[in-house]
Amino acid sequence: MSPYRAARIGERARLGIDLAGALGLTGTLLAYLSLSSLLPAAAAVGYGEPFWPFLAAGAAAGGVGLGLARLGRRRAAGPIGFREGYLVVSLTWLLAAVYASLPYLFSDEAQLSRPVDAFFEGMSGFSTTGATVVTDVESLDRSILLWRQLSQWLGGMGIIVLALAVLPRLRIGGRQMFESELPGPEVDQLAERIRDTARRLWFLYIGLTIVLIGALLFVGVSGLDDDLTPFQAVGNALSTMPLGGFATENRSLEGFAPVTQWIVAAFMALAGLNFALLYRTLVRRDPRALARDEEARLYGLLLVLGSILLFAEIVDKGLFSGEEAVRQAFFQATSLMTGTGFAITDYVSWPTLALMAMIGLMFVGASAGSPTGSVKIVRHLLVGRLLRRELRQTIHPELVIPIRLNGRPVEERTLRAVLAFVVMYIGIFIVGAALLAIDARFGRVQLGITDAVAASAGTLGNVGPGLGFAGPMGSYAPFSDFSKIVMALLMWIGRLELLPVLVLLTRNYWRV
Amino acid sequence: MKIVVVGAGQVGSTIVEALHGEHDLTVIDTVRDRLEPLAYRYDLRTIEANGASRRAIQQAGTSGADLFIACTSRDEVNLVACSFARVEGPRATIVIRTSNVEYIDLWREGRLDVDFAVSSELETAHAVARSIGMPSARQTDSFADGQVQIVEFEIPQGADPAVVGRPLRDAPIPDDSRVLAIIRETSLTLPGGEDVIREGDRIVVIGSPSAARTWGGLLAPGEGVVEDVVVFGGGQVGTAIARTLAEQGIGVRVIEPVLERAREIAEQLPRCRIYNATGIDPDFLERERIGRAQAAVFAMKEDAKNHYAATLARVHGVRFTIAVVHDTISTEVYELSGVDVTINPRAVTAEEIVRFAHDPRTQQVAMLEGNRYEVLDITTQPTSEYVGLRFSDMPIRGALIGAIVRDGRAVFPHSDEVLQAGDRVIVFTERARVADVEKVL
Repeated sequence: MSPYRAARIGERARLGIDLAGALGLTGTLLAYLSLSSLLPAAAAVGYGEPFWPFLAAGAAAGGVGLGLARLGRRRAAGPIGFREGYLVVSLTWLLAAVYASLPYLFSDEAQLSRPVDAFFEGMSGFSTTGATVVTDVESLDRSILLWRQLSQWLGGMGIIVLALAVLPRLRIGGRQMFESELPGPEVDQLAERIRDTARRLWFLYIGLTIVLIGALLFVGVSGLDDDLTPFQAVGNALSTMPLGGFATENRSLEGFAPVTQWIVAAFMALAGLNFALLYRTLVRRDPRALARDEEARLYGLLLVLGSILLFAEIVDKGLFSGEEAVRQAFFQATSLMTGTGFAITDYVSWPTLALMAMIGLMFVGASAGSPTGSVKIVRHLLVGRLLRRELRQTIHPELVIPIRLNGRPVEERTLRAVLAFVVMYIGIFIVGAALLAIDARFGRVQLGITDAVAASAGTLGNVGPGLGFAGPMGSYAPFSDFSKIVMALLMWIGRLELLPVLVLLTRNYWRV
Repeated sequence: MKIVVVGAGQVGSTIVEALHGEHDLTVIDTVRDRLEPLAYRYDLRTIEANGASRRAIQQAGTSGADLFIACTSRDEVNLVACSFARVEGPRATIVIRTSNVEYIDLWREGRLDVDFAVSSELETAHAVARSIGMPSARQTDSFADGQVQIVEFEIPQGADPAVVGRPLRDAPIPDDSRVLAIIRETSLTLPGGEDVIREGDRIVVIGSPSAARTWGGLLAPGEGVVEDVVVFGGGQVGTAIARTLAEQGIGVRVIEPVLERAREIAEQLPRCRIYNATGIDPDFLERERIGRAQAAVFAMKEDAKNHYAATLARVHGVRFTIAVVHDTISTEVYELSGVDVTINPRAVTAEEIVRFAHDPRTQQVAMLEGNRYEVLDITTQPTSEYVGLRFSDMPIRGALIGAIVRDGRAVFPHSDEVLQAGDRVIVFTERARVADVEKVL
């Protein structure tokens, strides 16, 4: 045996995961995802705009995907394993962002012509963040605009959940990948088969999107809101349901009538509920499922509290009054807490307490099992109960206190994971904010302390707008390339709930 | 009556002891050593076989049996035995002993094909709950859906002199109650108006629940409502006790030494506080102020541990202790060292099962003073010679009517009340006269 072969055998044994299998599955997912470029291509034909950027992007993604899939098929045996799942999920989302950026690059759009900007925009779309580097949205081609909105809508319920729902016999073994993509510590099962659960979630998601489009179209056509064109109705609905935040206008939703803003606010609040619970409530007609759920109740309570806080502050400072003050407070609180990022006024100039409350809301998030980002209500609930238990056990060390969620005891392992998640989340947020501040210092970008904090929290939490120049009516364009890449990575990590990405950074993951 | 008993353990032998002589008994057990003592002492047939085998059940003459009792300590054997008995003995009333509350619930829903299901754990828990409701009581039994209680009190020093030390006819006895018996040393009297209750006596009182509580207050002044009970041991019995007490609104703390088990019961009993501790650590007892508890229940698996923990708890200031007994002999040990109430799960279970062996009209029995006396709940027949008589005119034949249930309501009769056909009568009597009383009524 030659020394060369011995070395190769040694090397191969050291790699603990089935790399080819993982890449193959990622390729398959990407190849299927590339079909989504046909929709904006068709729209481009309809609008008389160039359609080839979409077809080219689709062909590129499809080609790479098929190539990877072939690589995997050559060596594949059986379904993908538990460990490979993390790599597949992380890589698929990274490649999806790259794929989303291709049409921006191929089109002759000057605002998105630089690869870093295009990648930022693509990741912002698929991760439903809604942070943009575009300064003049209205000047974009309609087909590009539609693609931007569509990427959020596809990312909202999850690429892999979609693949599970529609694709025939994907080589996915367990529900672990499904779980690492769907937000929240535990996945509520709606059916015996994971595929049926995925289908029901998508069915509900599509159904609600259609209802919202219908409502906005009605408002526009009936003359209740003269500024709302059918294109805007569809575009903003595709951004509301996934709690995304890309708007079709430069000034977000400011220009629309109050009725439109109320409808969007209501659907943001709705989309922030656990979809499995929503399914039980709306489709199975069990309204108590929602009313009894502890997470849903706390979600409602926090929405109301956040709105009241903002309301008191803006009324006190004389910024708004009457119905408009209520609408402003509720809309902004809902938009930031659920991680949407729409705005109906440029709140960058709001008083300090209101801004602090808004940054705080970015860390709350909406319910698990919704397209939201951030920490999510259920984790706050569990951490609160953990802390209360810790206090009780200080006095009574021998007391055994199970922590319950909706009356059912939660496993200690899950609790530990929740606590670890929150600590890691805060840690990554701090590192992100620090990197942005340091880079701004060298890049000579005017970045205040709240601006750095808001940008890091806004991208990691998949919220979207920050403060300062990156506020709701502004853009992330002034940031340096380095900062943009940092923030794109924060969106990626935040969308996948930290773990699938972070685990790839450990040496253990790759070893046997 | 022909009766088949599967299982000759403690429950089985207590049942045999209560039923022998009057009935034709067959006992099935796998262990010869358990059967032989029964066969030597009593007149019955024994079969050495597995109770879960169809042949053994046929051999025992189940086809002609009136009552079939499956009371081994194993639920699965009892279940199989009962389902064979259902096939083999169409006439038999089937009674199953189970330790699983789920089976009891199943039976209540009518989905378990037996006539009665009895759980040691639940019966024990109820017994504990009854005596905690009345700390001065030695034993409490409920009849007629709890409308009638029969309580055995020990008369302590410092009992209210209004009822103690003066003739009963002059004593302000609570309404809706009656003294059924006064036990002094080993002799029992069915008291008349001139008899006197003395310190150190034991008395049996029948009455409504509120009257029984008034009695408890008279005999042990200063003991208020129980709010804080500590249960030592979170096994099946301890858990059942904790659950029953918590359901009555009593604050319960449970001490369980095994962490895994402590977690389990903490999940099952959201209203109780569960400690993971041995219960015999003085620091722990001090820190958690166990001594402040109004009552402590000892439901660990070993009598010796219960004994030690109970003594330690008394040292720390617990005033009222209840211990669960597994070995009959431990009762005396416990009582000697000052445990206030002892409860034998097997005896309680046997008592519950034995009542099915009585006349089918008999609804419930309680056994007092180690089986020497029984309380019967009988529906009077129109042919009874006592129907139409006033209570004051009834000849006393070693039995006393304590209460009647008429149209679902309990009445505590005065001397000129008249017995009617169809009345449910609660009678206190010596065990030897049970058959006579049943015949007369």
